[in-house]
Amino acid sequence: MKKLILLFIILTTASQFTMAQRYLTKNGHIKFYSDGSLEKIEAHNNQVNAALDTKTGGFVFKVLMKSFVFEKALMQEHFNENYVESDKFPNATFAGKVTNLQDINFDKPGSYEATVAGKLTIHGVTKDITAQGSFDVKEDHVQGKSVFMIKLADYDISIPGAVTGKIAEEIEITVDTKLESLK
Amino acid sequence: MKKFKLWLLILLAAGLLGGTYVWFFVYNKPHRNIETASPDYILTAESFYTHYSNKSTPEGENYDGAVLQISGIPTSIETVDSLRIVVFAFTEGVFGDEGIRCTLLPSHHQYLKSIVPGRPVTLKGLCSGYNGTDVILEQCSIINE
Repeated sequence: MKKLILLFIILTTASQFTMAQRYLTKNGHIKFYSDGSLEKIEAHNNQVNAALDTKTGGFVFKVLMKSFVFEKALMQEHFNENYVESDKFPNATFAGKVTNLQDINFDKPGSYEATVAGKLTIHGVTKDITAQGSFDVKEDHVQGKSVFMIKLADYDISIPGAVTGKIAEEIEITVDTKLESLK
Repeated sequence: MKKFKLWLLILLAAGLLGGTYVWFFVYNKPHRNIETASPDYILTAESFYTHYSNKSTPEGENYDGAVLQISGIPTSIETVDSLRIVVFAFTEGVFGDEGIRCTLLPSHHQYLKSIVPGRPVTLKGLCSGYNGTDVILEQCSIINE
């Protein structure tokens, strides 16, 4: 996390912004959904750390993998022990920037389409990703949402043959964060 | 032939029993009930946080995925949508307070008014780990009020 904080500071260029331009949450929500041919699986995580700098567009989030909750306890166990190996790789992180910052007015309430690009690290593997989403600017907070797909194989997450069909090769990730101004 | 049919019946019954066991107790086994579980570790909130932030967990102990019972003085209570979080802050970082964040079970939200920042409390919950700023305890229940 300390490296992530340093990266966030570099991305946000400390001299140019005030504390009021930083928004963060420690309880953002991420859902992942697997639409397998034999089974639909989803898991929810309400312990997402996310931070946004509205001056520079810097956006980071960090997720504790053990905080993903599945309907089935056995699937949660397999997820942690076999697929993402959460003891070895306890967190997933994203560090990037809003690339169309000029289209978003964080001082005016409204809904704005956003494109975010950066580096996503899961299971110890880092990949460049670009995702579409939106920022819903309110009087006292910013709601950030995005839905994007990832391939498990890209992050060296291998699914045993016995459960092929139960878990899709591509997973849908939904990010939903209520970011409040850092006072 | 009669003996064969008997053995076949026994095998089928065993298969059915085995399959039922696997279906209910393995494939569909319930999540661990953290509220009724005995704690794996009992310690103060401060020492618990220090172990993580200093990476100084005693040898042989592993708090990740364990049920922890912690006692300490909470600094604040947060409401985030349907979540109620009791916070034990020990330091301050770039993103505000850093310490232990305990997300309460919904069934314990009714007891939240008994927790007053600045007064001691004991909580029990499942440790999800350390995200670099905070240690996260989930499915927390209030042990004393």
